[in-house]
Amino acid sequence: MVDFCPDDTPELKAWRMEVRGFLEEHWPVGKVFDYDYDEDEARWKEGRDFWIKVGKKGWTALTWSKDYYGLGRSAIEKWILHEELNACGAPVYPVIGLAVAGAILRLGTHEQRRQHLKGIAEGTVLWGEGYTEPSAGSDLASLTTRAHRDGDFWVLNGQKTLGTAAHHCTWMSVLARTDPDSVKHNGISCFLVPLDTPGIQMLPLHNMADGQQNQTFFENVRIPADCLLGEEGNAWNQVWFGIGGDNLDNAGPIPDPHQFRVMRMLNETLRYCRETTRGGIPLSDDPVIRLKLGELVAGVETMKLMAFETYSDAIQSGARGRGAMRPNLNQAYYKEFWPHLAQTYMEIVGPLAQIKGGKWAQLEGQFERYFRASFGNHAGGTAQLKRMVLATRGLGLPR
Amino acid sequence: MAIDLTFNEEQQLIQNTAREFFAKRCPPDLARKYENSEDEFPREIWREMADLGWLGMNFPAEYDGLECSFLDMYGLYVEMGRTVAPTPHLEAVALGGALVARLGSDAQKRALLPKIAAGEALATLAFLEPDGLYGPEGVTLAATGAGSAYKLSGVKVLVPYVRSAERLVVAARTSGTSAEAGVSLFLVDPNGAGVSVERTANTGGYPLYAVSFDGAAGEPLGPVDAAWDALHEVMMQAAVLQSAMVVGAGERVLDISVGYAKDRVQFGVPIGKHQAVQYLCTDIAIQGQVTRLLALHAAWKIDSGQPFIREAALAKAQASKAAAAMTFAAHEVHAGIGFMKDYDLQLYTLRGKHWEFNLGDQRHHFDLAMRQTTRLA
Repeated sequence: MVDFCPDDTPELKAWRMEVRGFLEEHWPVGKVFDYDYDEDEARWKEGRDFWIKVGKKGWTALTWSKDYYGLGRSAIEKWILHEELNACGAPVYPVIGLAVAGAILRLGTHEQRRQHLKGIAEGTVLWGEGYTEPSAGSDLASLTTRAHRDGDFWVLNGQKTLGTAAHHCTWMSVLARTDPDSVKHNGISCFLVPLDTPGIQMLPLHNMADGQQNQTFFENVRIPADCLLGEEGNAWNQVWFGIGGDNLDNAGPIPDPHQFRVMRMLNETLRYCRETTRGGIPLSDDPVIRLKLGELVAGVETMKLMAFETYSDAIQSGARGRGAMRPNLNQAYYKEFWPHLAQTYMEIVGPLAQIKGGKWAQLEGQFERYFRASFGNHAGGTAQLKRMVLATRGLGLPR
Repeated sequence: MAIDLTFNEEQQLIQNTAREFFAKRCPPDLARKYENSEDEFPREIWREMADLGWLGMNFPAEYDGLECSFLDMYGLYVEMGRTVAPTPHLEAVALGGALVARLGSDAQKRALLPKIAAGEALATLAFLEPDGLYGPEGVTLAATGAGSAYKLSGVKVLVPYVRSAERLVVAARTSGTSAEAGVSLFLVDPNGAGVSVERTANTGGYPLYAVSFDGAAGEPLGPVDAAWDALHEVMMQAAVLQSAMVVGAGERVLDISVGYAKDRVQFGVPIGKHQAVQYLCTDIAIQGQVTRLLALHAAWKIDSGQPFIREAALAKAQASKAAAAMTFAAHEVHAGIGFMKDYDLQLYTLRGKHWEFNLGDQRHHFDLAMRQTTRLA
């Protein structure tokens, strides 16, 4: 039955209020921390402290099984939690860690669950991703990092790149080719790699939005055999990509933080346009700006509805039942809409939008930062890739 | 589970029945036959729709209606859009009939609703004036009088199905100059004295007319001077149904385009193998999905008794955009063959222009949505 109201019971309303109460106490109004685009040490410390506070409540592991540090709560409660965290600019524990946790919950051994899930649940251990390589971006399955078995160890050799905030992390989820004769999607395995292992070297890459990504080099890195997650050679299907790019824990997917964050930024913009007069009238009464704002409101509402549907699909039919159509369509839409949104903000604000901070900055430079960050829309696959997959696997056009 | 975008069983049943019915009874050639036709629409199909209960879906039971939910109607409109079914359902049931049901006296309802539900009469809305404005400021046609006897003078354009209508529901100004207050509705006999009618040939071949009123007799429908809010709500609900038609039409346009891109071989490969063509096909899919989500959200707001003007405006703004964008992309995929009247694509393209403008275009609805938006939740 069609229903767009997540908290339609007193219990769920109370849950939302509980989350709000916690945030009022622990995350000041107006503070924002986008860890993808921020290397400020003080803000990172605040962010990490906050993740530990959320971890103490058990909320990072809200929907995980009680056997493994979770609270066994429902997917809908997770949705509400994420809605509230993002609405006030508070950082959700980084999505790579949540995805790794989901994969470990689904595929890990009992020992792997005991070993890794506690640190994620408590917010103390951060995970990086070792997927993208210099020559394997959109075509990730062409990756060449190798792992071969040597007694009780796996030995890794290769290079990963664009690992967002990996230098803050102590563990990395790494995709490597374990069958040297394999091509494309077959023969790839997933490893849970401690980053203090000898042979790993990391070099920084600074992105245009003030974030740090990293190149990670693996040279004869020996990791214990039990670092393999899931079946050898079957990571593509098992770990992440086979299920459409979304990731799941016991109760359902992780709500995409971007789909909530756009709403916070748009609300700031609407307020700015009401409160800022130019030529004697508020920006919000300028017919050209109103039309632009109307389009943006429709776009942001659309993103939220897409998130609703993705979440609803995953809860009802599981990730595999969803097919390639909607996830790729929604991602393509979002990835194209984000830079358009940022550019339109710049056009609405005008020349002063360039100023980063201080007295003359508009909205404390939020528009300016948002504009630069919008070029990070490629993360997780480009809009073009999503459209190609939508066309071929979704619509059935020839490859 | 309260995040759910799937129809309940009854809604699915209605949509499935409608899908079968329109696929069987309204092939594309029926739409061709009724383009620019003096007959306006196929009576036989209309009577069959009456037998299925579809012409009084939204009317009260005491006037032979079924009191269906809004989402029940939604699926029917998706299917009418898919098949470009030549029926006046939007005009006579969702607009004219709904206004009588909402605002009429018992006598007015008794006189019109059972006949509409039985497929024996139409009442259609005459709203738009030559300025082309869908807000209250667009209503300038003057009505003067008292009690049940008013005289109307002025011009309405793009009035649908006038030749088949037993009554026109005419929006008129009884006081004030441009605001919501002072807008009234009147029932007018289109064949009565003081009414002259001129058919206007149009892109989609619809039966649309310019109607001049010169002291024509009108009987008030609902409160004089205070009909705007109800009129606007009914128009906005109809705008959501018009959006649902665009959703159904878009699904068909996508099917036609993907099918063609798979079959048509150039340079030794199906053209759908080329990314430029794949992109055009995904444009159609994306525009359709965005329209579907916004329309479904608005429909849910209506059914759950919440304020819905803002959501309906966003849906129709998007549907207007999509009606043009989806057919544009489909023509780029097809090139020459899509330009031919024998090919079905043009049926959607030409009607789509009416759907784009009908009940307000992008500009109108984005502006309306912004009036209703202070912050998002």
